[in-house]
Amino acid sequence: MNHSNSFAPCRRAFLGRSGLSLGSLALAHLMSETGAKGAGLPEGNSFGGPDNLINLPHHKPTADAVICLFQHGGPSQMDLFDPKPDLTKLDGKPYQGDLEVHFSGQKGNVLASPFRFSKRGQSGIELSELLPHTSRIVDEMTLVRSVVTESVDHESALRLIHSGKFQAGDPTWGSWVTYGLGSANRNLPAYVVLSDPGGLPVDGTRNWTSGWLPALYQGTAFRPGANPVANLATPADLTPAARKNQLRLLEHFNKEHLSRYPQNAELHSRISNFETAARMQTAVPEALDLSSEDQATRKLYGLDQPETAEYGTRCLVARRLVERGVRFVQLFMAGQPWDTHSNNAASLKGLCKRTDQPSAALVHDLKQRGLLDRTLVMWGGEFGRLPISQGKDGRDHNRHANSLWIAGGGFRKGYCHGMTDELGYKAVKDVVNVHDLHATLLHTLGLDHKRLTYPHDGRPGSLTDIAVTKAEIIKDLLA
Amino acid sequence: MKPLSFSLLRPMWQTVLIGLFLALFSASESAFSTESQPLDLPNTPDFQTDVAPLLKNRCVRCHGPAKQDAKLNLALGAGVVRGGKNGKAVIPGKSDASLLWQHVADNSMPKGEDPLSNREKNLLRKWIEGGAQGLPVRVSAKSEGDEHWAFQKLQPTIIPTVKNRSRIHNPVDGFLQNHLERKGLAIGPEASKPVLIRRVAFDVTGLPPSIAETQAYLSDHSPQAYENMVERYLASPHYGERWGKFWLDTAGYADSNGYFNADTDRPLAWRYRDYVIDSLNRDLPFDQFIREQLAGDEISRYSPKLPLNPDSIRMLTATHFLRNSPDGTDSSDGNEDEVRADKYAVLEGTAQILGSSLLGITLQCARCHNHKFEPVSQADYYRLQAILYPAFNVDKWSKPSQRDIVAATPAELEAHKKALLVHEGEMKKIRDRQKEWLSRNPEPVRILFQDDFNEPNATVASHWSSTAPGDDAPLGMPVVQLDSKQAPAVNITNGTLQIVESGALGDRAISTRQSFDWTPAKKDSWIQVRFDLIKGAPYVGYLIALGDYNDIKNKHKGNILFDGAESGQAKIYLDYPGPDGTQPGAIGESGYKPGKNYGVRITNIGDGNFQVAQLVNGLPENNTVNLKKKDLPPGGFGFALCCGRSYVVDNVRVESSVDPTELTKAQMETSGLRKSKSGEFTKQINALQKRKPADPPMLAPVLDLSPKIPTVHILERGVHKNRGDKVDPAPPAVLMDSVNNKAWENKPDDLVLSTGNRLGFARWITRPDTRASALLARVTVNRWWQNHFGRGIVATPDNLGYSGSPPSHPELLEYLATELIRSGWSQKAIHRMVLCSNAFRQTSNPTTDALNGDEDNTLLSRFPLKRLDAEALRDAMLFTSGELNMAQGGPYTPTTRGGDGEVIVPETHPGAKRRSLYLQQRRTQTTGILELFDAPSIVYNCTIRMPTTVPLQSLIMLNSPFARMRSEAFAKRVLKEVPGENHAKLTQAFQLAWGRPPTEAEESAANIFLITQESEYKGMPNSVECAWIDLANMLLAANAFLYVE
Repeated sequence: MNHSNSFAPCRRAFLGRSGLSLGSLALAHLMSETGAKGAGLPEGNSFGGPDNLINLPHHKPTADAVICLFQHGGPSQMDLFDPKPDLTKLDGKPYQGDLEVHFSGQKGNVLASPFRFSKRGQSGIELSELLPHTSRIVDEMTLVRSVVTESVDHESALRLIHSGKFQAGDPTWGSWVTYGLGSANRNLPAYVVLSDPGGLPVDGTRNWTSGWLPALYQGTAFRPGANPVANLATPADLTPAARKNQLRLLEHFNKEHLSRYPQNAELHSRISNFETAARMQTAVPEALDLSSEDQATRKLYGLDQPETAEYGTRCLVARRLVERGVRFVQLFMAGQPWDTHSNNAASLKGLCKRTDQPSAALVHDLKQRGLLDRTLVMWGGEFGRLPISQGKDGRDHNRHANSLWIAGGGFRKGYCHGMTDELGYKAVKDVVNVHDLHATLLHTLGLDHKRLTYPHDGRPGSLTDIAVTKAEIIKDLLA
Repeated sequence: MKPLSFSLLRPMWQTVLIGLFLALFSASESAFSTESQPLDLPNTPDFQTDVAPLLKNRCVRCHGPAKQDAKLNLALGAGVVRGGKNGKAVIPGKSDASLLWQHVADNSMPKGEDPLSNREKNLLRKWIEGGAQGLPVRVSAKSEGDEHWAFQKLQPTIIPTVKNRSRIHNPVDGFLQNHLERKGLAIGPEASKPVLIRRVAFDVTGLPPSIAETQAYLSDHSPQAYENMVERYLASPHYGERWGKFWLDTAGYADSNGYFNADTDRPLAWRYRDYVIDSLNRDLPFDQFIREQLAGDEISRYSPKLPLNPDSIRMLTATHFLRNSPDGTDSSDGNEDEVRADKYAVLEGTAQILGSSLLGITLQCARCHNHKFEPVSQADYYRLQAILYPAFNVDKWSKPSQRDIVAATPAELEAHKKALLVHEGEMKKIRDRQKEWLSRNPEPVRILFQDDFNEPNATVASHWSSTAPGDDAPLGMPVVQLDSKQAPAVNITNGTLQIVESGALGDRAISTRQSFDWTPAKKDSWIQVRFDLIKGAPYVGYLIALGDYNDIKNKHKGNILFDGAESGQAKIYLDYPGPDGTQPGAIGESGYKPGKNYGVRITNIGDGNFQVAQLVNGLPENNTVNLKKKDLPPGGFGFALCCGRSYVVDNVRVESSVDPTELTKAQMETSGLRKSKSGEFTKQINALQKRKPADPPMLAPVLDLSPKIPTVHILERGVHKNRGDKVDPAPPAVLMDSVNNKAWENKPDDLVLSTGNRLGFARWITRPDTRASALLARVTVNRWWQNHFGRGIVATPDNLGYSGSPPSHPELLEYLATELIRSGWSQKAIHRMVLCSNAFRQTSNPTTDALNGDEDNTLLSRFPLKRLDAEALRDAMLFTSGELNMAQGGPYTPTTRGGDGEVIVPETHPGAKRRSLYLQQRRTQTTGILELFDAPSIVYNCTIRMPTTVPLQSLIMLNSPFARMRSEAFAKRVLKEVPGENHAKLTQAFQLAWGRPPTEAEESAANIFLITQESEYKGMPNSVECAWIDLANMLLAANAFLYVE
């Protein structure tokens, strides 16, 4: 197609006007193929190939893709990541001091973790026996034991960790990353959500909303099964030839229409989108087709075991998507399984059985393929849990301490950050709030959280909203 | 005023994303710029386009309308000229002498922040050196609040005299032509008649013109043909649907409560939706429309003691406007602080909607602190909250459903009562006959277990256990005590079983000591459990197949919980509790109310399936769920104790059917007879149930039932625990007229039941010749203009303040706002004026001059080519296929999330083909095709949509069942309606889809396509039809369909 030339001058004027800017290239992104090819990216500023729909980072990045293994409900840090011998000593005794509980009627006594912790890897970071596989990749990760959040309400805490704001309707960090960096593969969505076949997580599709960023930047959920994206497949009653005829006719109609508006880029874009759509019809199933993965890989992710097969499949798909240029992949679990208000210990066993091996396999596999250097893997939930029991054997929500880990993408290896008090109720040293975490995550992706903005409410809206949060990059987390 | 940066861009950008421009130009000059880039400064920097955005972003927080450090306001040209207490900020031509430059150059400003970038500094200096272009020449000494154009009273406008009068039809054209002429341009030539009628029909009604309407217009050669056509559409009932939807978006209308994941239903919101449609169709004066929505209860002097009449019902319906905010208070849990915060969130949402829909001010920014960009203090915010507070009193909170009232006139109530009595009488007759017959012909059962609780309390443990049979662990924690009143416990009192839960989370239960086989071996045989409910609870939970409750052994499933709710249907949880549990659905119909006998029956229906039916008084109800044998291992029966499940039961029975071979002859006969007879009874009862007179209509209004003004405090940092100063109710001070518009001066004497605050506010905001009504009128006409032309005169429709975009045609905005008030606030009068302007009637094909001089069409040198918005697109597809259901009003058509995750309207639903605004507007479940074409998922409200162009839109038009089904109906319609040659058929098909016949080239392409496609389907009996369906599919996917020229 040649018509891109017809509006190239306009684009140059545009870039010249605004200073060469990330936002203008986000527009190029919106323009799909036609626009991108005419965009004239300056040399030396793109990474990933000159022909891709890639926007400019603010500075040299250490990661260009994210896989977020999100653990809905609030995994219990003192049973998984943050050993607390004092809990065992005080087990069953009343907790001394004030404690913020969510379900105030069911405040129990100190509850020890029944799980054994030991030092792992070269770094000697202590992890629970529930995480034998994660223990093997401990030297790749930064474990943060001092994450705090601002709400003990699931929805609010979810919105906070995803979008930096309590209320619904703000863009998630996946949207911000996609807005900032665009896509590296125009035939796949830049922001893919691999949702649980068992159902939507709590807060549903709002976990991947683009809020007041354009809808383009919202996550596209791939569903398990034959139709990963709604309406992807050509209807069964249409032969390939019949479809081809249709598209030829459509092109004829649209070209005649276009001849009256030759400069209208939106019409160009809409026409070329039919070609992109056709390519997506092949690209998406190809990315999800695991038949080319060898036995060793399948075994690594646990595809051969009933407990791990489902989560393992999604972890493996996540790797394939990142390989193909998808910017942001997020895995969710149905409902909020880590919300262990009762039966904490037994539930954790099942959940770790399901997620431990596949999560570790992903990190291991990315590393052996040389992808971990540019891919950031994050594992964690919206808040932590309390050192006391809820009822007899549960744990209630805790916003004052939470653990999560990040591997790859320029984060420090084999490093443990922050500390909680003796019983693990509150983060006391190197406290990491959600906003600082966001600033740091964006930083590794080459994005300056202060400058990645979009107009909202009459001012530049951002993920970290520094005027309010004073968010800062946590340098200690970076390699 | 110099037009904004839009002028630099071609039309291609405008529809892609208006917002993105703002990112680049207005709000955040430095948002993306990188230091390494060349310093590409404009040759002659201009205040409005170049410097104001920089100042706004870097300086205005401290030197702005809200916080004038050093008495300096850099938000406005006037403020820059005036300077501050230290003197002039800018000396044109002399940067070194300018304070502004000095402070920036030595990095002493911005205080405490990063210094300006080199580019920013150079820009500022170049601008000052270049004579500080774009600053106002003369400025007054007035206060800043008065100066921002949008906060002033309406300014008289003079309709400009233009050189080229030939394209002037009405004053609207004059204002536009005036700007165009400065660029040597003019309003374009008139579009063709087919284009015009399609444009007007979509604009006014959101539907394409019918063929008859088009023919009538094309054959009308009178000079008034166009005006008459416009009038016909303005008089159409579909006008209210189209423009009503715009207001509903602005008002934040939704059919669900939002806030939490549950996103519960708002079953009565549709009545407000219908009020809006009706008000627009009647052209209810806009000021009245606003007053009713803000204070309909106070205007109608509502009192629960007084009878309602149709007019007062209408007014009350209008107040639902103030209930559009997300409201999660029916799903709040957690500690007291959180629940209270959830209540405040409703007030906050409502304030935000008020601000953006009526005032065009981002009020919400002043919740935690004084507004950083607008002259709105935090006290202003809480004064406004105090206006709403009496109706949303956090200390006397009503959950959403508790706010609903019966809305019927006395005559309607009386008639309903009578009808109900008659119906109940009939029902009782049938039920009595049924009961009597059943007691004479009892069903043969085998009793496997019974407990009538007539023995002493201490004996509970002989039948019941806190552990399931065969399981060594208790059923959840804490363990249920078996003969105690200390929760969690069960005990026998007065010959009944009392179930006392402890209010705590945790999945506790008791079980029978006896284990049962829950999978009857033979087809049609069954096992059932039943109990009498003596005292109810929000949930009456009972379990069967109680096996390994703690779920440690994975192979051993079981534990099926039935959660019978007061409101009807029992939810089923399989493999309860634990993270691997599932919910296969809900059974039954009746709610769990005391006095009845409840239970479930599990029937072997063959092929390894077991049907689970809810029993009420011994009879199975509709809505059943099928389970497999593996779901139903042997185990006990028991009751659940947690989370509000305290209730009292009696006469527990576990029974099984008797094998037909074991029946006596008499029993056999009874059994057969019973089957047919109970079928007969059920039929009669169901038939009668359907004839039950509908309940009197309910309404979800906002009411204020006390004249006492509650105390409202400023909440420091927006946190409800941090109470600051007390505030009195009042509108924002910046809009208060010093003389004649004090809000509360005359509360009517006969308004005794409420504070009258909202009525005061409603009158204040609509009183002519005031600053408040001027702003309301500007915000309103601007939004309407946006809906006509795709972009408002102010591009930020919810923000006309300092931080909003400046108007492209300020005088036009003043004129239209003035006309709105002058016309008696007639919305149709403004539409008429806009629709009849030559600006609206001009062609959308740009000339070369227009493309050069008005690249992005800010000046409207041609009509903008507009893609159909989401609702118009779906409605037009249904209209074109001849399937659109034009029924107006009433409850929404429910949507559902299909197996592939897409939100759809089930085609089998009788309302499936209604217009899009009647589809369920659930916040978390926006209909897929609508969402994809940019319909909002409402959080608060939506005053502007951002059109996107993405490949998923192509996929839905090509592949979705919705598009394919419309194509099929469209093709069949054409084939059926038009006999004879393809020429006639194609003409009709193009006319229907695109509003015009095909060109020769298009017709020939279509003909070739039909031939090729038919050969693809060769051998199929309907090959011709298939080819036509594929053609129809492409007609609907084509840009000629998707765009309005």
